[in-house]
Amino acid sequence: MSDQDISLMAHLMRRAGFGAPLEELQARAAKGYDATVEELLDPESQPPMERDLMMRYKTEWLSQAGLEGQQEEWTFRMINTKRPLQEKIALFWHGVLVTGHAKCEYPKQQMLELDMFRTVGLGSFHDLLQGLSKDPAMVFYLDNCMSHKGAINENWGRELLELFSLGVGMDGEFNYSEDDVKEAARAFTGWTVTNSIPRYPYGKYEAKFMFDPRDHDGDEKTFLGETGNFNGEDIVDIIVKQPATARFVARHLYNFFVADEPQVPAWKDTPPRDIEAIKQLEDEYFRSNYDITSMLRLLFKSDFFKNSTFAKIKSPAETVVGTLRLVGDFTFPKPGLDSLTLNIRYMGQDLLNPPTVEGWHTGREWIDSGTLVERINFTADQVGNINHPGVKSMISRIGGAGSVLTADQLVDGCLENLGAYQLADETRSQLLELAASEGDIRSDAEGFPRQVATMLQSIVATTEYLFA
Amino acid sequence: MTTEISHINVQYRKTIGRGEQFGPGFTYPIFVARGKEGVMYVLCRSSEYRPEGTRVTVCTTDEEFISTFARGVAQQGPHEYNFDDGSLVWPTCIALDSQENLFISDEWLNRISSFSKDGEYLGKWEERPGAGDGELDRPSGMAFDSDENLYIVDSGNHRVQKFTKDGKFLAKFGSYGSGDGEFNMPWGITIDSHGDIFIADWRNDRIQKFSPDGKFLMKFGSSGSGDGEFDRPTGVAVDRDGVIYVADWLNNRLQVFDQDGNFVDAKTGEAGISKWGQDKLDANAEMWDERERAQGLEREKDFWGPTGVTVDDEGNIFVPESARNRIQVYTTQSPTFAGPRL
Repeated sequence: MSDQDISLMAHLMRRAGFGAPLEELQARAAKGYDATVEELLDPESQPPMERDLMMRYKTEWLSQAGLEGQQEEWTFRMINTKRPLQEKIALFWHGVLVTGHAKCEYPKQQMLELDMFRTVGLGSFHDLLQGLSKDPAMVFYLDNCMSHKGAINENWGRELLELFSLGVGMDGEFNYSEDDVKEAARAFTGWTVTNSIPRYPYGKYEAKFMFDPRDHDGDEKTFLGETGNFNGEDIVDIIVKQPATARFVARHLYNFFVADEPQVPAWKDTPPRDIEAIKQLEDEYFRSNYDITSMLRLLFKSDFFKNSTFAKIKSPAETVVGTLRLVGDFTFPKPGLDSLTLNIRYMGQDLLNPPTVEGWHTGREWIDSGTLVERINFTADQVGNINHPGVKSMISRIGGAGSVLTADQLVDGCLENLGAYQLADETRSQLLELAASEGDIRSDAEGFPRQVATMLQSIVATTEYLFA
Repeated sequence: MTTEISHINVQYRKTIGRGEQFGPGFTYPIFVARGKEGVMYVLCRSSEYRPEGTRVTVCTTDEEFISTFARGVAQQGPHEYNFDDGSLVWPTCIALDSQENLFISDEWLNRISSFSKDGEYLGKWEERPGAGDGELDRPSGMAFDSDENLYIVDSGNHRVQKFTKDGKFLAKFGSYGSGDGEFNMPWGITIDSHGDIFIADWRNDRIQKFSPDGKFLMKFGSSGSGDGEFDRPTGVAVDRDGVIYVADWLNNRLQVFDQDGNFVDAKTGEAGISKWGQDKLDANAEMWDERERAQGLEREKDFWGPTGVTVDDEGNIFVPESARNRIQVYTTQSPTFAGPRL
């Protein structure tokens, strides 16, 4: 197994999951890159979360935890899942097909939506949009329950086209008209949710989707050039076969899994950074009958993916979850995860509560002077804790290189254990200087664990470590 | 179909409680202990981020509020656990001694704390995390025997340990496994009138019965959702007639068995509006209107997360539902006979 194999596996696991400690990377590399891709794409082949254990100790996760409790539960899942791509695709769709806690009657409703993303999110985009159209969290969030025959509310119809499927435009042209928005809204009239059971005295229950035929506008509509007595299902059928939808899904997948793209509002006039890659993904979208797993298989096995190491700035969720996986903390339910989870919010990503229906802007927009400090403080605290089992393992592996280490061995060992990171020459020189500044580096010395921890902390404070 | 005749008739009686972080009400109630003169002590687990809800609510079975005591403590940080004496993090069970002092297990602190019935903090056993004799790893269910020795389900060590009331180790039985007398993360415990011990063997989806000295006597149940099957049983109780009640957690039901472990009945919940619930709704009258318009209100009857079961000498069966902030009360109807028994 070559260093290159480990480096590529680290790249894959950062993107298709939340990173992995070195021993897992080695085991996966031994199994092979393509075999690992196939395993990731088939999450059902791996064991599910042990929900009974989670809820035994975190009693509140069973029914009605508020926003912080649900963020904590999701973070626990992301840390401990044996199906990393399933959890990653839920995070992906949560950032695209947005609902928000600020407008959610029953907080657990969003967790049910995440369950849908887990089960349908790697399947057909057609099925995903159908499910989303009937998702009570979405129906309430975008007011479709307030859209009536003869008195439409356009919110759902508009965002479905603008932010969830077609996008405003591409190649300088608009993808739909204002009339299309209105016609879509008409088609979805009558798609609503049941009145909820109020909070008092025992707590809320989830809402259910319902179709009210009396409130449905069954008259003729013209949508994206087609005419008929369309209902919501027909609208989705028409949407998914549009070239613009293929472009939209391809660009989002590329932006999330491959490399930072310009943000969504710029997509009408700004071409993709790698049009050839996008075209391959668009073709696969149609060839596979809108299948997300097929698109991801192509993506993960492509050269454009393999050559895209460190071309993305990690999101706050990736930063926090990836670090906790690395240091081996919270592998079993215990108190304290709630306060760690809040770091995702402090870094600018309030999971389940995005700032707008457009979700979060990504890439360099994750970083400002405040969030940068939060990132460095959090990651440095974690990798600097020599009591964490994952940190102990790293110290042990690095120390295994010999009783006396060179500065290069210390720096390279830390970089490898953090996920085969690479540094700019200047950064590397500074770290080598730091490593050599305390004289001999002896793995049997009492201060060796602290030396390693200090080096790990220095690396996670670099610009390079912001990237995945 | 032939009507099945049983002498065990369990019926819904009423619902107690409402969701409340303070005062009259519960926050994720996880266990009920019955005191004397109609008093009940309800252990509210709440959560680390709502520690004000972690407490014991004291009330009567007629829903007269008496007091609350004990407390959760806001955590100082992810790896800082400076919890003061008398505070609770993951409280799981209450055992009452003969003076009605409360002994409370805490699965996180590996601590047994005691309080008087008036809420005065009496003390704690010195924390002793570990797997050796007398050491604890996530202590959950607890029960006193007639000699006031305390049996503790040591869930993380997959065993039961017996202590004096002041915490001196006496005996232990059980180990990890699925064979007779073995456990997989057991939870609830009860001791019947003969001194025999029943354990909710949580991850083995069964109930096991032992003699007072820990000898295996019988077991019943297996994984599933059919009659007599369990999905992670949390609590077990035995009434004065030997009828066995099991809180069947993820099947959301109460199951009833005869003294030999034969299935008798299953109750999926019939909750109505409690007295405190009525007060809350009357104070927020618009909620009555919302309830009128709500669809699927019948769901409110169903058990959701029954985490324990407790019986009293009056034939009442109390089932706390952590997910619903309430306790459903059932009652056993026993035949009465005039004149001398044949």
